[in-house]
Amino acid sequence: MKNLPNIAVKQSLSTLSQVVLLSLVWLLASRLSHYWLPAVPAGVLGMFLVLAALALGWLPLSWCKSGARWLLAEMLLFFIPATVAVVQYPQLLGSIGLRIVLVILLSTVLVMTVTSLVVDAGYKFEILLKRRKRQHGVS
Amino acid sequence: MENLLAFGCLVLTLLLYWLAKKQYRRTGNWWSAPLLAVPLLVIGAVVVGHIPYHTYFQDTHWLSWLLGPATVAFAIPIYEQRQVIRKHALSLSCGVLVAMPVAVLSSVWLARAFGLSELLQKSLAPRSISTPFALATASSIGASPDLTAVFVVITGVAGMLLGEVMLMLLPLRSRLAKGALLGAAAHGAGTAKANELGAEEGVVASLTMMLGGIATVFAAPLIAWFV
Repeated sequence: MKNLPNIAVKQSLSTLSQVVLLSLVWLLASRLSHYWLPAVPAGVLGMFLVLAALALGWLPLSWCKSGARWLLAEMLLFFIPATVAVVQYPQLLGSIGLRIVLVILLSTVLVMTVTSLVVDAGYKFEILLKRRKRQHGVS
Repeated sequence: MENLLAFGCLVLTLLLYWLAKKQYRRTGNWWSAPLLAVPLLVIGAVVVGHIPYHTYFQDTHWLSWLLGPATVAFAIPIYEQRQVIRKHALSLSCGVLVAMPVAVLSSVWLARAFGLSELLQKSLAPRSISTPFALATASSIGASPDLTAVFVVITGVAGMLLGEVMLMLLPLRSRLAKGALLGAAAHGAGTAKANELGAEEGVVASLTMMLGGIATVFAAPLIAWFV
């Protein structure tokens, strides 16, 4: 029983150090992107660096997994400050705001419809390909 | 005094976030979803308290800063799901390559048709992808990242509400299509909904969201030229 809080503390510390590790990668990536690759945003560049390190086996998954899970699970918290910036645009309140919401609703319905129908068709095609491959293998 | 107020804003944001999350886990009502409730409550507090935005942002910018490392963190789920990506490469890439142009073009065209300003058209363009990618795209196409962040949140709420209706209306057979519908249209909020439907829907939604975000960031020069 006495060990339980200890385990929790250890886990939080390891998550924290993994968040620090991912933050360091981000800082490195923002330097790289600033000096050599201005076309690629730092976050995306850092993501590809980590992806490459994982694929090449330089970085064990267990060194960054819980930190990554925490960062992604709490992401909502990180963009709240940006949404509060809307107080600087009081003109968005009246009819403009209503039009914006309409644009978003209509566009969302459109994206949902087109994407899901295309993916459904793609899935059927995938099955067809697989079946054909199997038949070729048999004959 | 101003420093104290700034620190108070940070504490208030953290506290409201924590409370809303706890409340949502207990009740599960859509209107108590942290995505909707926390920004509304914080904005309400800032307006009522006449707090200038630069004071609010003074200490809370550390939270925004963490969006950078959060983007890097997407590498881990992508790596973990590499088998799914390989297995459904065709349908996933079709979904992403269709969803992104439809989202960007329809947002811009509808905004133009409704007579919204060029800044609003640009800021609406990346609204359907995950926040860190949307903000990166916004700053490279000359949009306002602040406005884009708000539109991303509204999109998330719209996706939560419309997702269920659209899933009922559309004749979809595969779990893949249901996941893609939610992930492509409503980023993190859609992915959360997809996880409620099932594990496969959740994985596909998060992959569509992540790959769509990356694709949009790389398409930014194209979007800038178009808007």
